[in-house]
Amino acid sequence: MADQEFLEFEDVSKYFGRIHAVDHVSFSVRKGEFFSLLGPSGCGKTTLLRILAGFERPDTGRVLLDGRDITALPPHQRKVNTIFQNYALFPHLTVRENIAFGLLIEKRPKKEIEKEVERMLALIQMEDQAEKYPDKISGGQKQRVAIARALIKKPQVLLLDEPLAALDLKLRQRMLMELDLIHDEVGITFLYVTHDQGEAMSLSDRIAVMNHGVIEQMGTPAEIYEAPRSSFVAAFIGDTNFFEGLVAEVVGDEYSRLAIDGFPPVLCFNDKHISLGNPVYLSIRPEKFHISREKPETGNKHNVVPGKVEDVIYQGLMTRYWVRVEGYRISVVQQHSRFLLDEKPIRWDEEVWISWHADDGYMLERYSESDEKLMSLPPENIGEMNGEGNGAA
Amino acid sequence: MKRSRVPLIVTMAMLVFFYLPIMILVINSFNASRFGSTWGGWSLRWYLRLLHEREIWYALKNSLVIAFSASFLSIVLGTTAAFALHRFASRLQKAHYAVIFAPLVMPEILMGIGLLLFFVALGVKLGLFTIFLAHVTFCISYVAMVVLGRLQDFDFSLIEAAQDLGANWWTATWRVLVPLLMPGIVAGGLLAFTLSIDDFVITFFVAGPGSTTLPIRIYSMIKHGSPPLINALSTLLLVVTFAAVWFSQRLLEVRK
Amino acid sequence: MKDRRRFLELLATAPSALWLAVFFLVPTVVVFAIAFKPTSPYGGVDAGWTLETLASLGNPNYPSILWRTFWLSILTTVISIIIATPVGYFLARVRKRWRQFLLLLIIVPFWTSFLIRIFAWKVLLHPDGFIKEGLVFLHLVDGGTSLLYNAWAVLLVMIYSYLPFAILPIYAAAERFDFQLIEAARDLGARQWQSFYRIFLPGIRRGLLTAVLMVFIPALGSYLIPDLVGGPDSEMLGNKIAQRVFMDRNLPHASALSALLTLAVLLPMTAVLFLPGRKGRPDLMTGEEK
Repeated sequence: MADQEFLEFEDVSKYFGRIHAVDHVSFSVRKGEFFSLLGPSGCGKTTLLRILAGFERPDTGRVLLDGRDITALPPHQRKVNTIFQNYALFPHLTVRENIAFGLLIEKRPKKEIEKEVERMLALIQMEDQAEKYPDKISGGQKQRVAIARALIKKPQVLLLDEPLAALDLKLRQRMLMELDLIHDEVGITFLYVTHDQGEAMSLSDRIAVMNHGVIEQMGTPAEIYEAPRSSFVAAFIGDTNFFEGLVAEVVGDEYSRLAIDGFPPVLCFNDKHISLGNPVYLSIRPEKFHISREKPETGNKHNVVPGKVEDVIYQGLMTRYWVRVEGYRISVVQQHSRFLLDEKPIRWDEEVWISWHADDGYMLERYSESDEKLMSLPPENIGEMNGEGNGAA
Repeated sequence: MKRSRVPLIVTMAMLVFFYLPIMILVINSFNASRFGSTWGGWSLRWYLRLLHEREIWYALKNSLVIAFSASFLSIVLGTTAAFALHRFASRLQKAHYAVIFAPLVMPEILMGIGLLLFFVALGVKLGLFTIFLAHVTFCISYVAMVVLGRLQDFDFSLIEAAQDLGANWWTATWRVLVPLLMPGIVAGGLLAFTLSIDDFVITFFVAGPGSTTLPIRIYSMIKHGSPPLINALSTLLLVVTFAAVWFSQRLLEVRK
Repeated sequence: MKDRRRFLELLATAPSALWLAVFFLVPTVVVFAIAFKPTSPYGGVDAGWTLETLASLGNPNYPSILWRTFWLSILTTVISIIIATPVGYFLARVRKRWRQFLLLLIIVPFWTSFLIRIFAWKVLLHPDGFIKEGLVFLHLVDGGTSLLYNAWAVLLVMIYSYLPFAILPIYAAAERFDFQLIEAARDLGARQWQSFYRIFLPGIRRGLLTAVLMVFIPALGSYLIPDLVGGPDSEMLGNKIAQRVFMDRNLPHASALSALLTLAVLLPMTAVLFLPGRKGRPDLMTGEEK
């Protein structure tokens, strides 16, 4: 089990005046893991990173690295290195000198430094740029130099503070793959901070989703996506539809029937064993629905409801539909796995049937109406943009 | 969008206005004739005459000694002041800033007479040393402002990066902050140097008999004749100043 | 930890603060103090205290000198601002390469010797100088008038000397100004002059205010300019102080006058430092506002 708790945050808090930037956060990272702190700006992820790097002191709690309490150590004494958001390359030193800096400080012998620097330059494939100054190399190259500069010190943990934020889309995608490769090759524990769910999902072994200084949920990318515990996690990662209902009937050990306004009784997987009469919030992701003109023939575990198409957005790979079912405006996504032009696509104002499997909805532990604003779904009308409207997806 | 020509015209006219007297001065320094109104042909005679004016060399020597020592000390004092102003944001620094800023706007004559009365009240003998003290006093503010400007442009994540890589506060300062700040410090020093060489009013008040600096010599030359020599001397000073300004501008623009 | 920080702060602040306290603040106080001392018959300051020196401020010649000092400084300030504003506007709009060069051209005179620049004008405005001859030739003046040694010469040279102090802060503010605002105004129908007057000027008002103070205050204390190019009818406060020190050897009287000048200068100066929200001041080397 020693592997489990390679890096531990124990009840860490940081307050700036009245703001709880980090509020009693505890979690641990495994050795060699690629771990991400994901959340919107202001959620506390960068503060946690800086506490680990040593640039902030926590007001409560402690940080343990490989069993050692490093909470009080100044940054230059920690075996932790940071890739800064703007790379922070020393402008008065060449690429080579930047990379060598950490070893120079350690007063390593000259021969050794040269060897290590060459090794790093080969790793980031910049041997022919070694004598250039930072202002003469591109954004992607700067990032590689920053990585090399940090890795050469063989830190126990590498911290990355939104390293891709300054890059344009295509470059970002490339650097994502490079980071993945470097992590695999080097095997060091990575702690990655970002607000971009795409980055976090594609790179991480595990993700901690943060909001207002606390961790809302921690798990693998799939766990977080498919089984969100709160409306924040459900809405922040991808898109979803929220439904509000009551447990009307318990069916067997694992299922319940819910009474949702305007819907026929909805069969739902109830792993949380919420009992009769209690309110329930349901999250169903758009791709879990099936949409068709004719009422589908389905098994008894499927829910089928009629609705009317209010909007159609064609996006090549898929089409997004807005289907009105009583008081709800449901977002449905359908991937086009067959040649589309052979079919007659569903159009605006058509009467349709949507269906989904009882296992594909997920009951939330916590729900807050304001989280709906996090989703990238457009509002129903102009008034809703200011937070008015009925709040249902 | 049709742009008005007025700003351009005003700027060009202003530049002409600025440089006209200087140009005339420079041209006249090569004028063989004694009187500026008549042109006697190109000549270097006034420059040659300058070489023989022993009093001018004496004054120049004084000016240089004072300028070097005053700029050195004001660099030290001004740079520490800039650090304090930038790093700490307390009520003390607000007062500190006021004290640093005041000499920049204060009329020279007030500083001059203040120092004169101060030295007289203390019974300090007026001479080169009092001039030195006065020069340091007004140069500190200039150096502090220049270095402060560079500090405010400075990216402090570089210091964090150095610490992250194992440098303690002292090492980070000397290996990262100072090298990157050096152009600003040198530029501030150059400014202090030229201000010291050129200063007249404050120097005049605290000089006392027997100690002359170059500007004081020039002043008495202006009051008592021999314009062509002044032309030549001024031209030389202009060249030196121009070089200093150009050099320090280069220093400041390279690593912005 | 907090104490260490406090200690470091004091350590860094002390050298400059102490030096300036001793050689700047104390002398200012001394000026006020000596205004209360009697004049020694041998020149210099006598023992004891008196109010007579202050009473000497009642000298009937003084009001006109004060008025002239004030009036010339105001004129200088206004004219300098009028010239500096289009220049600052122009500089903020030109391409980077030209801008560096033009700024250099403007800063150089600022660095060169004050004395030399005033002397250059003395030569230019000389009765035998070509400007005079040119004006006579154009029948704008007659042979008898002198361009030199009067209030006009003083005004001209003052503007010449203090113009860079106006240009730098205005340029600094103009450089930060978002010129798209002017495009927006034009788009909404404003004519060129209107957008300049209603959008640009308010947008750089901080720079304008700095410029006013950086010209007006030093102008009040002008000494060298009226001394070299002015005449008896254009004496300013600075001259009077110098005269009391070097010719009359009357330090207390000079002190009293200086105290007066200091008070006149302190008012605008405190306004500079304590204006709400102000922290910008022009970079002395490049003209940018910090």
